[in-house]
Amino acid sequence: MSRIPFYLKERLEEVQKRVLYESYEAQKLPVWERITLTWIVLFSFWIVITANTSLDNLIIGGIATLIIASFMRDMLMEDVRHKGHLIEKIIYFLLLYAPQYLIIMAFRLIESNIKVAKNVIFMDIKPGIMKIRTDLHSDTGVTILANSITLTPGTLTLDVSKKLGETYLYVHWIYVETLNREKAGEKIKGDIEEWLKKIFW
Amino acid sequence: MIEYLLLAFGEVVMIFGALGIIRFPDVYTRLHAATKCDTGGAMTILLALALYIDASVFIKLKLLVLTFLIALINPMISHAIAKGAYKYGIKPEVVVDMYAWDNP
Repeated sequence: MSRIPFYLKERLEEVQKRVLYESYEAQKLPVWERITLTWIVLFSFWIVITANTSLDNLIIGGIATLIIASFMRDMLMEDVRHKGHLIEKIIYFLLLYAPQYLIIMAFRLIESNIKVAKNVIFMDIKPGIMKIRTDLHSDTGVTILANSITLTPGTLTLDVSKKLGETYLYVHWIYVETLNREKAGEKIKGDIEEWLKKIFW
Repeated sequence: MIEYLLLAFGEVVMIFGALGIIRFPDVYTRLHAATKCDTGGAMTILLALALYIDASVFIKLKLLVLTFLIALINPMISHAIAKGAYKYGIKPEVVVDMYAWDNP
């Protein structure tokens, strides 16, 4: 490995990651894991909506959501990364990833509201449309990334395009700071993409 | 106490959003004001209601489900409006337009 010149090394690592993705991790989750995860989401939604914790209601809701989950198992859980055991996944998501994401997005949203108020008062805008590259490939991951970019300060997603196996986002930026694409991508995406890469493809 | 702070913050943010829709020059910058201020204002007002209301836990959870749905749907609608306006032919007043480079 040490004889390979350094400019080829990055490309080789990319190819190796791609092979790993296509051979092992791109497979979907096993069927029972998909059904169980969908069932947990649907059943918690049933309990919140009906607001009734008697035993009859729980049994009816459990059976109905289990039937629906066995049909609809591909809709929610198609793009989840193939890593770890089921219980490990649930515990990591509930205790670590979800609070992290909520705290990041809450502060970003407050900051963006204050920034829009500042822009309205002083009118110091210099808008532009930038094109940035992301490392995410799946539909769910790109959707959540685009929605998070829209809620972060000063940016609004216009369109998505996929070319040659890479994904690009077009972003309307209200105050263009740099014209360099990679620096702009780092400034716009922040640490949300790192967070999303742990869960989705 | 904190629910009054949240309520006041939401109201002020909604007022600035409405002001931004009037003052900004074109469609895309107006969408900035509409999306961010409406999402933040509605979410903080609903959080204040969920803290203030004197009812069982499930009613509060229903209000939290509403905030989640608003945070999910509002950016998607703004994205659809922006793309529709661009396809209709409204040119943005911008410094650099990389979307027009790739879709001539």
